[in-house]
Amino acid sequence: MSWPVADLDPVRRLRALAAAIPGAHVAERVIPAPFATVWAVAGDLEEEFGTFEPDMRRLTIDSARPDGRLVARARSRYGMRARFDVDLRPGWCWMQSRFLLVGLAATAVPEGTLVAQTGGVRVPGRAALVPWGVRAAGDRALARLAARVAGRSA
Amino acid sequence: MTPALVRAAQRGDTMAMNDLLAELTPYLGRICGPIALDSGPDAVQEALIAIFRHLRDLREPEALHGWARAIAVREAVRIARRDGRSSPAELDGLPSPRDVERAVDIRDVLERLPPEHRAVLVLRDLEGVPEEAAARMLRVPSGTVKSRLHRARANFRRAWQG
Repeated sequence: MSWPVADLDPVRRLRALAAAIPGAHVAERVIPAPFATVWAVAGDLEEEFGTFEPDMRRLTIDSARPDGRLVARARSRYGMRARFDVDLRPGWCWMQSRFLLVGLAATAVPEGTLVAQTGGVRVPGRAALVPWGVRAAGDRALARLAARVAGRSA
Repeated sequence: MTPALVRAAQRGDTMAMNDLLAELTPYLGRICGPIALDSGPDAVQEALIAIFRHLRDLREPEALHGWARAIAVREAVRIARRDGRSSPAELDGLPSPRDVERAVDIRDVLERLPPEHRAVLVLRDLEGVPEEAAARMLRVPSGTVKSRLHRARANFRRAWQG
């Protein structure tokens, strides 16, 4: 006899985590492409991440564990460098540096893939973001991601 | 789960919050699933939001699971009530014993119980929570837990006996 179990997809998980971070906004968008196609772009930290995430030009993975936990070095568009702790799994990417936070999630839906993004500049020493511009930045990141996916599918 | 992880999450380390989320989500899915049924994912999401918003209030990190369970049960009952899928404990059309053996019908039986009764079943039978503690968690007298459990088990028995 088995009891029903509720499953939480990565986008719902991102909403829950972002709700605990004052200043965070979750941008969402449906990309009309299969999950595998979308995540091949969204989860490619070294080649693709900098093409759609704001303030991120180049990301290099320094070390990786089998459980998906990575350490990465990033350079922003303005030349600043940062060390990121990263949790990368299919449909899920959560990364944190001293000054930045980025969360990305994706799940298959009938229309394609629902993607969600949150992040921004951290309030030092707290699980909070400086709220200026996070909404527009998230929407722009997902629009760029959709364009990259469309480019790859074309 | 280590107390150090909870403390790091309480201090605002979002990687620790991420790890805590990964650990708690399957556990909350097992609590919310039988109570909220089709609204289970909503219930888990709302429970996680409440847990992370109030994480700083948790004084003893070792008590995380019991504390999270209490929140999850309350959220699951609230969401199940909100979505109004609960029906009175009607026993017409209960599944046959063969269906029970196939393990596809526990859900059928649960659907015939109000969410508060499902919550009692989950706490007492699945989680092994003592009656008094279950009553405190559900904010009802201990006698109510006893009578709900009795009725819920009777429904199961009738389902099994066909």
